[in-house]
Amino acid sequence: MFDLIIMLSRYVFVFLIGLYLWEAIVYIAYEQGGFLGSPYHAISVQRRLIVIMHLVAFLILSYNRETHLFAWQVLLFGAVSLAFLLVAVQLLDRFYYEGCPLIWTGMLFLIDVSLIMLQRLSPTSAQKQLLWFVVGLCGMLVLPYLLRLIPRFEIFEWAYIIVCYGLLLSTQIFGIEQYGSRNWLNIAGITFQPSELAKFLFVFYLASVFRKRVEWRSFLTTGILSAGVVMLLVLQKDLGAALIFFMTYMVMLYIATSNEILFFAGMGAASGAAMIAYRLFSHVRVRVAAWQNPWADIDHGGYQIVTALFAITTYGLLGSGLTKGMPNSIPVVESDCIFAAICEEFGVLFGAGVICIFIMLLYRGIRITLDCGRRYYSLLAVGIIVMLCFQAFVIIGGVIKFIPLTGVTLPLVSYGGTSVMVSLMMIGILQWVCVYCEQHSQIAEGGNADA
Amino acid sequence: MHNMKKSVRRVFWLLALCFFLLLGYLGKLVITDRQEISSNAYNIRMRNDMEGIQRGDILDKNGELLATSVLQDDGSYEREYKRARMAAHVTGYSSVGKTGVEAAANFSLMSVHHELQQRIASMISGEDPKGNDVVLTIDMDIQSVAGNLLGNAKGAVVVMEPSTGRVLAMQAYPDFDPNKVEEQWENLTKNEDSPLVNRATQGLYPPGSTFKIVTALAAMEYVPNWQNFTVECKGESNFENKVIHCYNNKAHGTVDMHKAMEVSCNCYFATLAKEIGSKNMSDVMKRCGLEMDYDFDVAYSKSVMYLNKNATESELVETGIGQGKTSVSPLYMAMMISAVANDGMMMRPYMIDHVQYPNGSIGKNTVPEKLIQIGTAEEIALLQDMLIGVVENGTGQAAKVNGVTVAGKTGTAENATGNDHSWFVGYAPAENPRVAIAVVMEDIGDAKATPIAGKVLQVALEKTAE
Repeated sequence: MFDLIIMLSRYVFVFLIGLYLWEAIVYIAYEQGGFLGSPYHAISVQRRLIVIMHLVAFLILSYNRETHLFAWQVLLFGAVSLAFLLVAVQLLDRFYYEGCPLIWTGMLFLIDVSLIMLQRLSPTSAQKQLLWFVVGLCGMLVLPYLLRLIPRFEIFEWAYIIVCYGLLLSTQIFGIEQYGSRNWLNIAGITFQPSELAKFLFVFYLASVFRKRVEWRSFLTTGILSAGVVMLLVLQKDLGAALIFFMTYMVMLYIATSNEILFFAGMGAASGAAMIAYRLFSHVRVRVAAWQNPWADIDHGGYQIVTALFAITTYGLLGSGLTKGMPNSIPVVESDCIFAAICEEFGVLFGAGVICIFIMLLYRGIRITLDCGRRYYSLLAVGIIVMLCFQAFVIIGGVIKFIPLTGVTLPLVSYGGTSVMVSLMMIGILQWVCVYCEQHSQIAEGGNADA
Repeated sequence: MHNMKKSVRRVFWLLALCFFLLLGYLGKLVITDRQEISSNAYNIRMRNDMEGIQRGDILDKNGELLATSVLQDDGSYEREYKRARMAAHVTGYSSVGKTGVEAAANFSLMSVHHELQQRIASMISGEDPKGNDVVLTIDMDIQSVAGNLLGNAKGAVVVMEPSTGRVLAMQAYPDFDPNKVEEQWENLTKNEDSPLVNRATQGLYPPGSTFKIVTALAAMEYVPNWQNFTVECKGESNFENKVIHCYNNKAHGTVDMHKAMEVSCNCYFATLAKEIGSKNMSDVMKRCGLEMDYDFDVAYSKSVMYLNKNATESELVETGIGQGKTSVSPLYMAMMISAVANDGMMMRPYMIDHVQYPNGSIGKNTVPEKLIQIGTAEEIALLQDMLIGVVENGTGQAAKVNGVTVAGKTGTAENATGNDHSWFVGYAPAENPRVAIAVVMEDIGDAKATPIAGKVLQVALEKTAE
């Protein structure tokens, strides 16, 4: 009987994410001038869908087959995390008046998927993760005030890059190695990844420099400093982060200069550099070999990617149903490979839906960039959204063997305190830019009307 | 500012494209690559038989049950192999890992068709949903005759339908009881005779004189006046660093290819091989698929060929009569003789005919697939005449079947460690071949395989006449 319910729940989850995406289209269509339904209604439906998904998932997770009872610990955690989601919606609406509601629901959807999946994989991780979400949320709420306190924070461009380098170099000296990369710091028992924090500073730095007309001098300094950051990351075996930093730099440079030649030349130079790195570093070769033919070396290099592929393909489009798969057989499933676990138990259709949510976030982020009148904030917004989405691309692509697998986290979904904090703060800044521009354009329009 | 907006839009499309590629690739993974990836032996989801699913049955061509799942008292299932040893190397086992069809068709056996309907039905009936059944091309009547005739002699028999590549019987000895693999594991894995190895597909033997078929094909292509090419056989002949003997040093007198094939004259074919040359010979061997992967349903060993264009004369003449380092599996020889019977077209061998859903409807059908053309129609026709001669007047007379013309070739492969291995490959009826056969018996002496092949052919012809 319970198996049957789980089987049916697979259809429910796919239906939920499908309807969720449809409501997103309804909202966007309204903005574009079409009408498929009320946008306010669409957002409230999306919020309800998240609640329904949460309830269904936690009822399944808490059921104990042997005793035929619901485990109260799981139900309690489910209730607490639901309360968190509901409170978060209310607080964010209040603190970010007129922030983009689609980004909020997208963020909450991903957070909920993260909590459900982690509860399934390892309940203690889920509890820690919830804690990090709470801390991250507090950070987001403080953020608007913090930014208001510091007027013109773009003038600290040098400070950003110096601290950024400091963080990356600190791992070189005090770092500890985890999952094959020496990019973790341990302070008072809490391990965190400085490269995650550096992301922030890097975007701030580039936006600050590029807010002015890009001269040769600034082009060269940013180019050299960014190349330095990327190289440091490659040396620390954090290839995924290196790729993300590089792409962020290229995109921001391109947007600041609108120069296609520069963009393609940069890409070409990077390809050359990648070839050299391939020759020089064995850890790069190992990753590439595991990607090209993981089947040749299943026991060692190819193990992670192969188990992820098994998880994704075995149960097909609808998945095994929550709790019915074997996602714990994948190494590092809670962080790097969480997408494979989602595909396994929720089905590949749901996984595709998650990718669509990232496309939706990308679209909204770009919308904010386009609507923003101030160049600095525009650059900041585009840098943040590109970084976030490209990171999602790198890890999802890695897990499904589309590109070589590198150990980065899936923003908002993967387990990991630093990653969660940084992702939430990035979305906070994005929304802050959105709010700022909305208010200022209204003021500008108001001013015009007066004149 | 305007430029910047344009660039931002472009960046959006670039990243969106990246995501669309991900969606496309994910779709490809789950739609086209799914079965291949998930049926990998390393996938523990397939290894641990899923709870609450009855693994599907394995049936032979006539619907006879070969393997089925039997419910135990504790609610789990145990695999029962009705024909035990008789089909051991076909079904393989599913206990300590999986082999044979159990491994090859694992995905189908564990997939539940219309799972939702079955789950609802199972709530009412109390029975677990059942995986799909797999129906083989094997005919247990032929399989049993082959098994009984082979008896306790080490070796293998493969019976095939030449026009399609369907394997009708695949027998190998030593074998094992698939019902008792777990209990006897220690013994089975340590036994020097390696009973778990399927000699029909994984055993590699020197082909002996059966390989003269390939040498003849090469000569037809590369020796211009081969029809008039004769050798005076004195029972042995000398080559560079090598003396070739005919069987029992028998002198065959002056022979042409037709006669040499009938009497299996080594001196003739060795001289012919020298005439053909290493490069041409190795080209034809490659064309006959000696180095080919043919993607058979169960584990198999690729044939081994050592000959290359720089080979020495002794290597060349040895290869020409099927001695030396060339080694082939019985399955490959069955494919090769089937190709001769099928006017030169080698078909991909297969054993899994179709998947059958529990409601009786037929799922995926295996479609016969052409592999390679091993010779022109004229060459093959001439070769077929010679092979008829072998059974009518030559070394293969023991394979005769009443009322039917049989074509074939005998072989004796020298065995460094004991008695010779005996081979027979052939097909019948010669005019319109319905079955082809390859038999090999290890360490047994000359010509033991031929009468067995004849008897199996007779049964196979009766069975396929219907």
